[in-house]
Order: sequence, then structure tokens, then C-alpha cells
Amino acid sequence: MNKKLVSTLLCGAMVLASATPAFAGVADGQKIALVGKSAGNAFFEIAASSFKETVEAEGGTVEVVYPEAATADAQIKVLDNLISQDFDAICISANDVNALQAKLEEAMDAGIKVSSFDSAPNKDSRQVFVNQAGTVAVAQALMDAVLDIAGGEGQWAILSATSQAANQNAWIDAMKKIMEEDEKYSKLELVEVAYGDDEPQKSTDQTAALLEKYPDLKVICAPTTVGIAAAAKYLQDNESACKLTGLGLPSEMLEYTGADDEHSCPYFYLWDMQGLGKLSAYATSALISDEITGALDETFTAGDLGEYTITEADDGGTEIVLGLPLQFNSDNIEEMAKLY
Amino acid sequence: MAGKSGRSINNVPESPIKRMIFSWEGVLVILFILINVFCAFYSEFYNLKNLLRQMPVYLAEVFLMLPMAYILVLGEIDISVGSIVCLSATMSCIVCNTGAPFIVVVLTALLVGTACGAVNGFILTRFQELPPMIVTLATQIIFRGIAEIVLGSGGSISASNTDGFRAIGGKIGSVPYILFLVLILGVIAAVILGKSTFGRRVYAIGTNRTTAYYSGIHVQKIRMIIYTVMGTFAGLCALFLVSSSYGANTTTGNGFEMDAIAMAVFGGISSTGGKGNLAGGIISAFIIVCLRVGLGQKNVHAQVILLILGLLLICAVALPNIIGSIKKAAAKK
Repeated sequence: MNKKLVSTLLCGAMVLASATPAFAGVADGQKIALVGKSAGNAFFEIAASSFKETVEAEGGTVEVVYPEAATADAQIKVLDNLISQDFDAICISANDVNALQAKLEEAMDAGIKVSSFDSAPNKDSRQVFVNQAGTVAVAQALMDAVLDIAGGEGQWAILSATSQAANQNAWIDAMKKIMEEDEKYSKLELVEVAYGDDEPQKSTDQTAALLEKYPDLKVICAPTTVGIAAAAKYLQDNESACKLTGLGLPSEMLEYTGADDEHSCPYFYLWDMQGLGKLSAYATSALISDEITGALDETFTAGDLGEYTITEADDGGTEIVLGLPLQFNSDNIEEMAKLY
Repeated sequence: MAGKSGRSINNVPESPIKRMIFSWEGVLVILFILINVFCAFYSEFYNLKNLLRQMPVYLAEVFLMLPMAYILVLGEIDISVGSIVCLSATMSCIVCNTGAPFIVVVLTALLVGTACGAVNGFILTRFQELPPMIVTLATQIIFRGIAEIVLGSGGSISASNTDGFRAIGGKIGSVPYILFLVLILGVIAAVILGKSTFGRRVYAIGTNRTTAYYSGIHVQKIRMIIYTVMGTFAGLCALFLVSSSYGANTTTGNGFEMDAIAMAVFGGISSTGGKGNLAGGIISAFIIVCLRVGLGQKNVHAQVILLILGLLLICAVALPNIIGSIKKAAAKK
């Protein structure tokens, strides 16, 4: 009787296991594993599907694998699984900078190429990192947007997330530096950096406070998706003359984006996740075909994206920088809102 | 032999072989073989070499299962072990980064673990009316909280000198040290629980604590020892965990307590106390490891693997009841 139950149990497990999509590995062409931070990150999935499309169009196969939790430990288990298989390359968005080093080195020792995008493991754990856009590129795009929207002069403010957020502070510092260094920004006056802590209500309150304190405020720049959405709604609802730009999600910004007075945000930016996935795919593919090794100053052609050169990353490793962030305006927002 | 009432009493003892096969451990052994056959057919990469290579990360959790079995046999639970692992791993990395010899690093991990376990034991034996679930929930938060404070804003630390960790992560041939250690400690723990006076007393406490107390068993002393040793093993788990990632972070050891409890319960150790043995726990640990490796190698969605493990666990818990009621129904006929 026991045996019967056990076998039923086992059959159940087998049925379940086989019911899940089994990705057959065709040895024909390159076989790449793409490892995410965790399942259910819409942002990563845009890049992942673009990565997959690109490789498949070139005749390779891609397996997108997610760890059971967004931890380095879970990713180590995934990497163990991948090393056992016959992948040519692993492209990873790392949950921890250093914790994956042992496993990724093991992978490289086993002849598997290792690339990364979105979130880099340390320089010894990878051959090359594909970066979305350098800090300076983001800051430059935002500064130019502020200058353009303000009409060349006037007061502007920044609505950030928290005062400790490393990426926010890096962008803000870079913007300040750009403003100091170039004469054309001299008529702009940064009056305040407000912090909405990435909470919708607090961001709204901070926006209201900025408008009250500085009635002549021309532009608010919010380099955070939560902040920009909250500010966009507040400015639009109050028909404020103050305009908005920053980094935001198209789906959240759809009803606020437009060049006319009815909309609070003429245009804003965000990573080009599709482009990032595509460039990562070409870079990983180039690693497998030994076109590049991930060394400084190597160049390769990333399909219709053009030619890219490997540069030095902030951590001392190498990276490939995609370029400018993507601009979202009334022309492309409806289409992009379906994606992001 | 059917009596007048229609009931039959079987006074012929079952053969030892039959008893072994029909015991839960027997079922587990069969299941272990079946799982391995299944995995070998399912994944073309499932072989001994890959299994041994992938095993160490999972085996670290088996260290936790051993003392956890004792705690479950006591009829209690310790859900703070994952956090103890985190704190031990963090402290051992910090000590390692001061340039201390590796033996000091090992001692740090074990001592931090032991100290945390002793804190649990102290609270639980000093305030006996407190439920272990709540106390260890509190210490779970506290231990991880301390680790998070120590780790600071970055939330992670890496060992600067990895030689020692590399060494304990080593292999004899292709068999990792950790496998030997798990098996040796497993056998020792199983023998102590199953064959020694100490083990008998643990079962006695788990079956009925008051009776155990009145028959002269030092209930609180035994509880104190077990919770403290639980901490020590968490330190051991931390050491091997660091040997795979050369560092620690705020998520280190997250959920390990539940994995350890699941392995033990799947092995037939009742969470209500007094039942089960470690042989079942150890076999079930290897069943879970093999199944995870096999399914993982085919890139089955991580959540689906967890779902299968969850179903197996429910079946394992429900099966004795189902068999019981079938037997009862059969007896009525």
C-alpha cells in the first residue's frame, strides 16, 4: 500500500516537472544562459526578451533562468546548475557584487564566457559588463532637458528619492558639475534638492512645498520613477506653469506627457532596456566567437546598433556603454507604455 | 485468525525485512532510488560528477537539520537559525579581514553560533512558559538585525583572504569534504538520538515533558544543551556557506530554518515531538538535494521546484494519516 502511494506521489512530481516548459538544448549555434536577479522584474524582462530575440535571430539559443529568491545564495545554486550543462556563455545580473566570484570563476575555468548587464559582479567575476548609460550621460541628458524646458534661464529644483541613494546622488553631483563647467547653463539656478523618499505621498508633498517656496520655479527634475509620477500628477492637477522632466516609467507617465500646456511633462528619460538587452546579446555572442575577450579598447559590431569599444568601468574592470538614455515624448510614449 | 467479532489479531511478528521496507525510512530509501532514476532519465547532465560538484551549497543546510531534529523531537522549534548563520558568517568574514589565522576564523564562526544558540537556550530555560516559536522569532530578528548593523549600509562583506575558505571547500578526489563531514556528524547525531540515554531522554521530554520531569530527567539542562548545539551547527553551516561565496550579506541564510525543518519533517520527524529518527532525516535531506539538482539542471522554474518540494512535504506529513485511515477502513470490513 505504501509503495502504491509513493509511486503515485512520484508520478505526480514527474508530471509536474514535465509539465513545465522544458527547453531542449540544440547544440546548433551558441547556447547562452541569461540569469536574472529574481523572477517578476518587468524591467529586466524587457531586456531579457530583447536579448533572446537578438540571439535567436542570429541562430543561437537563450535560456532565461531566475533564482528562487533575489539573493546571492540562490544565484550560486543557479550557476552550479548552469555549469553542469553545456552553455557557451552566461550573462548575469548579479544580486551581490562579490559573492558570485567563486562560482563565476569556476564557470570561466570551465570554458564558459561570462558577461553581465544591469547589475555587475566584481571585475574578477566577469569578462565584460554592459552598462546602460554612464552617470555623466544621464546627468548630461537631464541637464539639457532642464535647459531646454526652462527656455535657457530660470529657477529649477530636483526632486530626488532619499538623501542616501547612491545612484541619485551620483547623478545629482554630475548635474551640478556640468552646470558649473559650461557657460550655457549659467542662467539656470538650482534652488533646492528635495527628497520624496520614493514614496508617492511624500513626493507629492515635496512638490507642493517647492511650488509654494519658489513661485517662479520653471522646471522640476525628478530622476526617480516614483518622484516623477507623483510630481507629474500634482503639477497637472493644479495646472501649474512649472514643468517636469527626469527619469520615469512610460506606463506611469502616459497621461502626463505632452508638449502642450495641458500636460505637465514635455519629455523624460529612462534606460533603453531593449537596447541594453540587444547590446548585451551581441557582446556575449562576440565573447563566444572570440571576437572579443573583454579586454580594454577591443571593438566589435553590435548588429544595427553599430560599432562599440570596450572601455574601463568605475570598478577597474571593463564595460561597454550603451550610450544615452532613451527619451520618451508624445511621439513614442503610447507605444513604449505597453512595454515598461 | 478471525474471531467471533470479526476482528483478527495478528500475533505473528512481521519479518525484519518486511518491517524495514514498510517503515518510513524504507519508503524514503525507495523514494531516494526512484528520484535518482528519474533525475538520470530527466536530465542528461545528471551524473555523479555533477552531483558531487553541485552538492556542497545544499549540504550546508543539512548541518542545521541535525540539531533541528532534536529540537523537533523535543516538540519545539527554532526559527532563528537562519539569522544565526547570517551573523556567524558576517563575524567570521570580519575576523578573516583582520588578517587573523584561519583557525581563529573557524572558532569565531562556531563561537558566535554557539553564543547565539546559548542565548536562545537561556531565554527558553529561564522563562519556560514562553513558546519557542515566539522566542526564536524574536531572536531571529535580533540576530539578523545585529548582522545588518555590523554590515552597515553596503549590506555585504567579502573575505579578503579566501585561502582558508577555499581549503575547507576542497575535495578528496571529486568528493567534497563537506559530504564526509555531513555523513560523519549525521551518523554521530543519529546514534546519540537513537541509541544513547541522552537521546532516550529527548524522546521522553518530547512525548510528555511533565512526566519526563517527574521521572528525574533534567529537562531544562537538556533543552539548554540542544539549543546551544543548534547554534554551534549554525556556525558550521555559516563557515561552509562562506566557503562558496567568500562573503556574507544581509540575505545570507535567509529561510534556512524552514529548509532544515522541512528536511526533518519529510524524514518522518514529527513536529509535535517524540517521534521520528535521524536516519529518515538524513535520507530525506539527500532526496531533496538530488531532486533540486536534477530539476535545476533542466532549468525548471525555481518556483516550480519549490512547489514540488512543498507538495512532497504535505504528502509526507499526510501519508501516515492516510495509511492509518485506510488500515482502519480495511480492518472494519
